[in-house]
Amino acid sequence: MRDCRSAETLYLYLEGELGPAERRGLEAHLEGCPACREALAERRLLHEAFTSLPPLEVPPDFALSVMDRLPEPAEARSRWLAPLVAATTSLIVGLLGFYVLTGESLSDVLVAVSRSFSSSFGRLLPLFAKLLKVSGLLLDVASGFVTMLGKGLVTLLSALGPEGIGLILGLGLLLSLLFFFGAKRLLSLGEKT
Amino acid sequence: MTEDSTLVAQALKGDRKAFEMIVRKYEQPLTNYLGRMTGEREAALDFSQELFIKVYCSLGSYRPAYKFSTWLFKIASNHLIDHWRKKKLPTLSLDQPVDDNEGSLTPQVPDPGPSVARKFELAEIRQKIERALESIPAAFRELFVLRHVSEFSYEEIADIKSLPVGTVKNRVFQAKEMLRKRMEGS
Repeated sequence: MRDCRSAETLYLYLEGELGPAERRGLEAHLEGCPACREALAERRLLHEAFTSLPPLEVPPDFALSVMDRLPEPAEARSRWLAPLVAATTSLIVGLLGFYVLTGESLSDVLVAVSRSFSSSFGRLLPLFAKLLKVSGLLLDVASGFVTMLGKGLVTLLSALGPEGIGLILGLGLLLSLLFFFGAKRLLSLGEKT
Repeated sequence: MTEDSTLVAQALKGDRKAFEMIVRKYEQPLTNYLGRMTGEREAALDFSQELFIKVYCSLGSYRPAYKFSTWLFKIASNHLIDHWRKKKLPTLSLDQPVDDNEGSLTPQVPDPGPSVARKFELAEIRQKIERALESIPAAFRELFVLRHVSEFSYEEIADIKSLPVGTVKNRVFQAKEMLRKRMEGS
């Protein structure tokens, strides 16, 4: 037939890629053209096969194996670098600014900065040492106390024997019950008054 | 922001779980694409792995204005081309005319000859397509796979391959007719 459509148009029709006018034109043509209908039926079956090719099997641990091989993230690597660069740049700019404003030589400025830094550090150092000494002493006392308490408890329990331990536990339970019910009674008396 | 863009942003902040989600989402489509392009499942898996690592290292260059899948497949396509170049495998430029021994690849009128499709059941046709795919030029095979296996729109394929949409449509059609002719001959 003279106005038979191309095979490309048939595929585009099957894919829904034709505009409304072109689609209507093709459908009208198909009604009166058995050759095009047959060609379309064949392309339809092929199209169905083209669009339903089976997926290739991916192992279940594929993603994990990729994750194992990943390098350290670039962002995380540079996280500490940016503040360091910023701090160094600010220091250099500050020193240069000081040099320009005061006219002092750069080496004098550096010497002054290092002196002030070392004197502050020198003042703080003995304080840190004292703090460390006091914390050490406190730790010694606390550990001695805990050891003594433990030893005393072990000695007492071994001296009492199983009967004594049972007696103490029973007495403790009795006292707890008395305390509990006493407190409850006191509370209920308070509510009544 | 799309779900993919959000995952990329999180991965860039060092969230490895976010990147793992990207891998899980695209491992199947990428392996399907690479498998059809290389013709071997194992090679496709190795390729996919290399590619995800490459993508991870280039995440900073991704712009959320673009679709992530398109960006990913663009990298995959370039990676394949580099691989073939290194291996000196013959690749066919899309600008070259197709010389097919079995006749013209662009019949303008439907062929009224005996129906190929009717000869086989659908499953058999699929098997034949898989075999025929390996024999058609890589540049055509790639466009066919991007369209019918990876299910990209013609516009997306045009983006991935930096080609005009009309050219992509015509080349996908040529690939289909090549497949049809090779199946007819089998």
